[in-house]
Amino acid sequence: MKRLYRALLKLYPARFREEYAEPMERQFDDEYREAEGWGCRAWLGLRALVDFARTAPGEAAREIWQDVRHGARVYRRRSVTTALALAALALAIGATTGIFSVLNALLIRSLPFREPARLVELWQAPLNAGAGRAEFQAWQGRSPYLAEAAGYTTNELNLSLSRGSARVRVSETTANFLRMLGTEPEFGRGFAGDEDIPGRDGVAVIGYGLWQQVFGGDPRVLGSTIRLNGAALTVIGVAPRGVDYPEKTAIWTPTMYDLGRIPKSDAYFWQTIGRLKPGVGMAQASGMFQAEVERHYAGQARPPRMKGYSNDPHLFSLNDRLAGPVRSASLVLMALVAFVLLIACANVAHLLLSRTTERRQELAIRAALGASRARLMQQLVTEATVLTAAAAVAGLAVAHWTARLAASAQPAQLAAREYTLLDWRVILFALGLAVLTGVVFGVLPASLIYRMQPGQDVIRTQSGLRGSGAGRMRGVLIALQAALTVALAAGSFSMGRSFVKLMGTDLGFHTDHVATLNVSFAGTRSETDGRERQYYNDALERLRAAPGVESAAVVSYLPLISKLHPGGLFKLDSGEQGPVSIVIAASPGYFRTMGTEIIEGREFTQNDRAGAEPVVVISEDLERSFGRGSLAGRKLNLAFGGAPRMATIVGVVRSERYSGPEAKGWTQVFRPIEQAPSGSVTFVARVRGDPEPYLAVCRDAVQEVDPEVPVYDVKTLDQRLADTLARPRFYTTAILFLAGFALLLAVAGTYGAATYAVTQRTHEIGVRIAVGASLGSVRGMLFRQSMLSVGAGMLAGVCGAAGLGRFLQHLIAIAEPTGVWICIAAAFVMATATAAAVWTATNRIVRMDPTAALRVE
Amino acid sequence: MAKVNDDAVQAQLPLPLPIFHMLLALSEGERHGYALKREILRRTDGKLNLGAGALYGSIARMIERGLIEESDERPDLHLDDERRRYYRITRLGRRVAQAEAVRMRQLVQLAEDCLGLPETA
Repeated sequence: MKRLYRALLKLYPARFREEYAEPMERQFDDEYREAEGWGCRAWLGLRALVDFARTAPGEAAREIWQDVRHGARVYRRRSVTTALALAALALAIGATTGIFSVLNALLIRSLPFREPARLVELWQAPLNAGAGRAEFQAWQGRSPYLAEAAGYTTNELNLSLSRGSARVRVSETTANFLRMLGTEPEFGRGFAGDEDIPGRDGVAVIGYGLWQQVFGGDPRVLGSTIRLNGAALTVIGVAPRGVDYPEKTAIWTPTMYDLGRIPKSDAYFWQTIGRLKPGVGMAQASGMFQAEVERHYAGQARPPRMKGYSNDPHLFSLNDRLAGPVRSASLVLMALVAFVLLIACANVAHLLLSRTTERRQELAIRAALGASRARLMQQLVTEATVLTAAAAVAGLAVAHWTARLAASAQPAQLAAREYTLLDWRVILFALGLAVLTGVVFGVLPASLIYRMQPGQDVIRTQSGLRGSGAGRMRGVLIALQAALTVALAAGSFSMGRSFVKLMGTDLGFHTDHVATLNVSFAGTRSETDGRERQYYNDALERLRAAPGVESAAVVSYLPLISKLHPGGLFKLDSGEQGPVSIVIAASPGYFRTMGTEIIEGREFTQNDRAGAEPVVVISEDLERSFGRGSLAGRKLNLAFGGAPRMATIVGVVRSERYSGPEAKGWTQVFRPIEQAPSGSVTFVARVRGDPEPYLAVCRDAVQEVDPEVPVYDVKTLDQRLADTLARPRFYTTAILFLAGFALLLAVAGTYGAATYAVTQRTHEIGVRIAVGASLGSVRGMLFRQSMLSVGAGMLAGVCGAAGLGRFLQHLIAIAEPTGVWICIAAAFVMATATAAAVWTATNRIVRMDPTAALRVE
Repeated sequence: MAKVNDDAVQAQLPLPLPIFHMLLALSEGERHGYALKREILRRTDGKLNLGAGALYGSIARMIERGLIEESDERPDLHLDDERRRYYRITRLGRRVAQAEAVRMRQLVQLAEDCLGLPETA
């Protein structure tokens, strides 16, 4: 029991313990002796415990407050250094927490589904819901690895409102879709098992957000009728808040086997998801799936492969699929950020303590005056904790900003995966990080105290520490830091170059001075009456008449918008087959408005109307792929089979990069929009000057044609390009920022270390100068010694940069491996910056008075 | 010793009860911590039983506020354990205890005027 009490006393704060632990122990001994019988002694123990619980926190708070006040005085004297250290820590902690919130959302937080680990996506499964209900159900029933499978296809459709209509994301699914995910409606009911049989499928479940926004959260929505592209559906349920799979769906209908029920002109794409049988692992299921694919395609041609687009059948975990390409990018970012955090911690420790002998002397004097090591430890750890806590609070702002930036660059695919700081894991992470950094740079310097010889340090500045463990450690730290910084700098140069290249990519069209607006006729009278052509002409007339508009056109698929295009393999009149090409319908003036160069022949004219001779314009790369020289005047077969439908090639244009600068995209076949009308189109208008102010004018002009037809997603083409480039831009900015930050830290660290070395060796330097060494030679010696570890680190960094280059490809598709020149450039920047820092640090030797230096000891 | 300023005395009032008791006990002579505790226990009929933490916490506060100081003298080394520390009251401590008593007397008088107190409680 006495031992227990002694242990309890150890929990009192250092100063109180030093003062009073002995008499308290003595008193306990006395009372223990006086208490007789185990009952009395147990009572004594209990009282001691209560006494401890009542007094220890107060004593601790009192001492910590004293330490904090003392620390504040010390740091106020070096406010610049402190502010720098705080800023470094805040940035590092904040950035790390921000990236972690992304990782947490993508990888750690589970999906809002039942047993999400067993959900899979079957990419390009040999059989999908397109085969029909009976076939699909039979397939899932005999599957050796799936307990259940569901299909869906998703599109943006027009939802009729009391006034006008809105574009909403609709997923047409099999009846078991929501049930398989484990999503029970918030209220109302889900789809019954047979509600996907055509004729019974006129029902819909609506999303929570839509219910709130459009129906004002009115429960009477159940049983009411909504119109999607004109088709009437009865609302039977409301999905729970946060459920918006897939792709931010707002309405689910069980019309997967009845795709004609809701009329639409957009392309659709059968997607299959499934739930693994219990006991079947991911790897096993993947093997079975591949075997099934092999059996299916035995002796048959596989679907054509497209460049830059994986068309190979594959089984994904739904979790990975939803994290998508953002996952590896975020992991790479996290690793880089963590490195920088490490550098920052090491540096801050350096910056705050070992740099200044002033602090050592203060501690030494306090030790000589009787402060114990424990007491000084407590002081340093408290200071460190307060600094990190302050940094962590500031860091939260940085984290918030980082998460927001990340969200705009790589938005989460599900509402349930929004990046948020308000998650216990993120908060725990930030707290852990603060504690960890506090310990790293609180305890590291505090360990110096244990090596300190009280008494000695007061009168001597510590010579002879060089070559000691601390000295070597410092060298290793500097080298490590140099290595990381060079690697990061090389990586950032390479990213920056790739990004500049990306920005400079010839898209095949000019994005400046162009306003764009989307229109969909689905479910409106313009569609049912077949008046699209009339609509195009009216709208174009109004657009062209609008002030400031130089030219206007309409197109079925504008570059940078859609990810899904109708396409196929087309044959030339001589029978050669070209690569997969996409088909786009465009009006006269389209190429002029987009600034796309016409290489050969002509663009569409008013004469290319319905009933006239079918014509096409093809992209230059399609022409080249046939390898037949000029194709103007030749014919292309537009039919996907059956009787040929020949169209004359009247022009060849510069290829347009449809999905933006990162991917080359497909070859293109353009048709006159009058010959191939489309239910959803984009109007483009080239204007004089900044297109931003014209957006409203253009929208009004088109909206006037038919108020019932929704005009949405009104943007300048420049904005669309910026949206496409948001991710690479975010990554590039992040890496450049991290590299710059690391470089700054490295310079500060090297400077600190060099200054430290000079002050430490003042006496030795004095002796050297006294026996005849020149100032320059002494300075040169210190310079060489300081740069030695930097140089060693830089060598390692150059090697590391090569490895880093490969990781960067996760961030920016066209990133190239870091080349020799980039490494040399990074090393050069690093060497120049640190050399300048060391040279400045050794400056004080020049000002040194040798006799004074000798007297230091 | 510097003259004890009245303001300095007043600033210390009111005293927490354990501190007041400790000052009273110390005014009779130097004591070590445990003896203080026993004395207070006796004087309050076992009602105020200070745990070691509370006792030494109060002692620390009193030293900080200059009410008591540690004594170097040891009454008898044979009887004593070197782990024990002895404390004695300072002049300020005495003045503060007096002022506290005066404050309490005024309070009691006020209560008497208002309520009329019986002879024994």
